[in-house]
Order: sequence, then structure tokens, then C-alpha cells
Amino acid sequence: MEKELDRVIEEIMATPNVNGCLVADHQGLCLASKGTAHVDSAGMIVAISEQACKIQPNLKPPTVCLETDTKQCLIQRHGTITGAIFKQKS
Amino acid sequence: MTLISVPVVLSENLCLVDCAIMDKVPDQIGYLVLTEDGAVLESGGELENDERVATIVTDLISLSNKVDPVAFTPTEQFKKISITYDDHWFLICMSNKKIYVVKRNISVPASEPNSVIV
Repeated sequence: MEKELDRVIEEIMATPNVNGCLVADHQGLCLASKGTAHVDSAGMIVAISEQACKIQPNLKPPTVCLETDTKQCLIQRHGTITGAIFKQKS
Repeated sequence: MTLISVPVVLSENLCLVDCAIMDKVPDQIGYLVLTEDGAVLESGGELENDERVATIVTDLISLSNKVDPVAFTPTEQFKKISITYDDHWFLICMSNKKIYVVKRNISVPASEPNSVIV
């Protein structure tokens, strides 16, 4: 059933500098995760995307990017699904 | 009397410095300078006195501190958060116990909507 989702995750993981990927539903339940992305952070990632959506609720959900010196975490919501990509800065 | 007035003058000067810096940010259309607990110190442009955004931003920062201890070890603190819409983006940074929020226009070609500028 989740073959398509697994294929997308594999595709993302094959992208250079990506070391983790996570997909969660609107309740914060993890649908898929791979690499450094931990299942437990699904709730937090959905909460962050919801919080960011509150800034301008009439516009479509924004992309949130959290950055440290060496890493990035990109969070994007699409409908009820939220995706997060953990990247190494190039 | 002078002892009390000196810190006041100093803090006013610091605010003026913040204002001047924020005004110089390219494509800036609004800014906020907040304390760690979300009180608005300075504001301007489209974010003038926008306490709603100030609350959202402080909540977002406290949430971001709890993201994935495996991918981001506790020693790796986030130093920058960006929130990107199609034609504008918000940049959030923390420095000197203050939170700086800038709303900026995106001046890249419209062919790349929702792209994250790093």
C-alpha cells in the first residue's frame, strides 16, 4: 500500500547531501521515515509546520527551513501531509 | 539621577542601532526585534506592532529546540529559521538574547515558487 510513498522517500534519499527524510500526517503520526530522521520527531515537525502556517493562514503553507552551522531541516506541508528533509549543508 | 539615566540612554541608543541595521536589510518590508520571551522591542514596516506574529515566532523557536535529538544533537542549536512563501519570506535569527525577525520580498524569477533561499 505504501509502495508509492517508499519510492518517493528513496528518491529523496538519493538526492545529494540528504541524510534523513520523514513524512507525517496532520495528527503528527509518522507515515514513513528514513536516515537520521527519527520517528519520534514527527509530532514536533507537524507542530512546527502548523505554527508557521498561522503567520499567514490565508496563503498556502510555507516552507520552513531550520538551520545549524552544518545542517538544514526543511519542512513543507501539502494538504494533510507534512514532509521533512534533513540535509547536510553543501 | 545620572545613575538611572545612563542605562536608559544606552538602551535607547542600542535600539536605534537595531533600527538602523534592520532598515538596511535588502528587500525588507517589515521587521521585529523581540526579547527572548516574545515582547516587542522594536518593529517597523508591515510587522509594526505585530504582536500576533511575535507570539507565533517565539512559539516556533521553542518548538524548534525540541526537533530530533538524533539528527541534531543538543550542542547543535539552530541559528536561523526561514519561512518561505511564494513571493516573500520571514527570516528569524537570535543574537544577544534578542530575536530578530525580518519579512523580505523575494526578488527571484517566479519560475521557482516556494524555493528556500539559503
